[in-house]
Amino acid sequence: MNVLELKDVTKKYGEFVAVEGVCLEIEEGKILSLLGPSGCGKSTTLRMIAGFTTPNSGTVAIAGENVDHLKPYERNVGLLFQDYALFPHMTVEQNVAYGLRYRGTPKPMIPSRVQQMLSLVRMLGMEARYPSQLSGGQQQRVALARALATDPQIVLLDEPLSALDAKLRLELRIELKEILRSVGATTIVVTHDQEEALSLGDEVVVMHAGKVIQRGSPIEIYKAPADKFVAEFVGRSNWFCATRRGRSSGDLSSYITSNGIEIRTRSAPTDRRGSADLCIRPEHIELMDVTQGVVSDEPDQNLLEGVVVDVAPLGADVHVVVDLPGETRLQVIRKNVGRIPTVVPGQPVRLCFAASDVLVFPT
Amino acid sequence: MLSKRHTDAGLGVLLKATIALTAVFLLLPVVMTVIMSFDSRNYLGQFPPPSLSTQWFTKFAHNGYLWSGLRTSLLLATATTVGATTVGALAALAISRMTAQWRDPVTTAFLSPLVLPGVIIGFALLMAFSALSAVPTFLKMLAGHLLITVPFTIRMTLIGLAGISATLGEAALSLGANERQSFFTIILPLAKNSIAAGAIFAFAFSMDDLTISLFLSDFNTYPLPVALVGLMRSNFDLTLAAAAVFLMGLTVIILIVLDRIFGLERVIGHGIYKA
Repeated sequence: MNVLELKDVTKKYGEFVAVEGVCLEIEEGKILSLLGPSGCGKSTTLRMIAGFTTPNSGTVAIAGENVDHLKPYERNVGLLFQDYALFPHMTVEQNVAYGLRYRGTPKPMIPSRVQQMLSLVRMLGMEARYPSQLSGGQQQRVALARALATDPQIVLLDEPLSALDAKLRLELRIELKEILRSVGATTIVVTHDQEEALSLGDEVVVMHAGKVIQRGSPIEIYKAPADKFVAEFVGRSNWFCATRRGRSSGDLSSYITSNGIEIRTRSAPTDRRGSADLCIRPEHIELMDVTQGVVSDEPDQNLLEGVVVDVAPLGADVHVVVDLPGETRLQVIRKNVGRIPTVVPGQPVRLCFAASDVLVFPT
Repeated sequence: MLSKRHTDAGLGVLLKATIALTAVFLLLPVVMTVIMSFDSRNYLGQFPPPSLSTQWFTKFAHNGYLWSGLRTSLLLATATTVGATTVGALAALAISRMTAQWRDPVTTAFLSPLVLPGVIIGFALLMAFSALSAVPTFLKMLAGHLLITVPFTIRMTLIGLAGISATLGEAALSLGANERQSFFTIILPLAKNSIAAGAIFAFAFSMDDLTISLFLSDFNTYPLPVALVGLMRSNFDLTLAAAAVFLMGLTVIILIVLDRIFGLERVIGHGIYKA
């Protein structure tokens, strides 16, 4: 059963098309991430689901019922705002009780429901505080409790973690997911932060320029991006502009970059000769010392040589920047575990990556 | 040559001296008025008075002309405050909901009485009302006072509304409150202090206005400033000073009451809500 269904929804502001032909459905109890850069239409989509904006064409249905004509307060959609939007003149208790009051919860039931919600977000004992007396993380919990209190059919989270500092963000991300699962809330997370999208969502929908580009599990989005935009937006990547060479052996293809570097790929979407953008993730590149004996040239491996420019040990990862001949710069990420070769700037190195790890986007 | 540190110290002293002089400049006339109102001489003499008495206050208390003016002023200021605050707050609310292309021209139109000299407004109203014969004097003055105070109440309310994030209203709507409920439970309580600040301005401007009232008042209905000027022209004595001191006392009492209700610092100091 789809709790929410968007059918061919389009929203224009004058000449500007904010959302174009978006179709989206979400099953009960699932968390869907809506990921895209600012201006991609994800916030407009959220506002149309909440009822603050009406689409120019297409329909929004909640639980199978068309809600296009319904005002925000006639829909049962819970919203967690980016700035939390806690009412500054009300206490934590009054904030959480606000929705219960207007959604028709019987008065004697309200205090116990408020207690239940506050215990869910671990904010018991803070009832009498005002939002200004709470930390950012605490404000977020209260806002979540307020949004969930009325047992909404859909919960919309607008950039839920972006206002928090990095360490708190990680903690709250896990907790947020736990809370949403425990109440079985059907949730849409709108975010421009890929980490937030991939970690919170059962599924991720990538939007760009008002359109849905790809929908898939977080792993799919990362491993098999639908186009160059998704590949570039999600995760880190190295790019080569290359032209395909005619001959290929088996299912391998061979490309030559504009700087004359040969790169072998496994995925060859078309047979035609032509140019393509090749993408290789930094963590798929192996770093080896040039003195490390002779490496045999396996046909399904790529072997390049370059010079280390920069080494940044970032705790769990080591980020290495390598210059290839012809002014091509590559990022390499190595896990800081086991025996990793120590490299220093200026050192010549060998780079090795599998043909199957190269993503090909014909241009 | 002076070192940087000495220059800084010198500037610090200069700054303090400027503050002190400004304070003296602002307060000296008030202090002199208070002292002169207790002058025991029965003519207007040099400052300071040789001895003190309360004779001018007695004279003020028995001056029916001034009391009538004070009564009119208080009624007028109260009516003006209620009218200007209501109209101003509603207008500001409407303006804050307009799209950007309308907001600026409408705001400018509403605030335009601010740039017109009171003399011109007074004269214009006099001409306009002379065409309509049977308008009571009090209502004429009320119209004039509303004209000059509504821009202030609009301004103050707009400042307050600007401090209220749009997401607060949306949060209320998403929680099931309709527009009217969200206005009364969220917007109005948060804009309360700036609306109150506008009301205080309206009251003070109405009490203080001379130019417009001068054009619109008559021999039977006149506000206190008009009465004071009349008294000054006909019989210049220190009853004026006593009346002024009485008004100051009244102001202090009003401010203390407001402080108890709203917290004065918040009403006058910020005017806008700080989360």
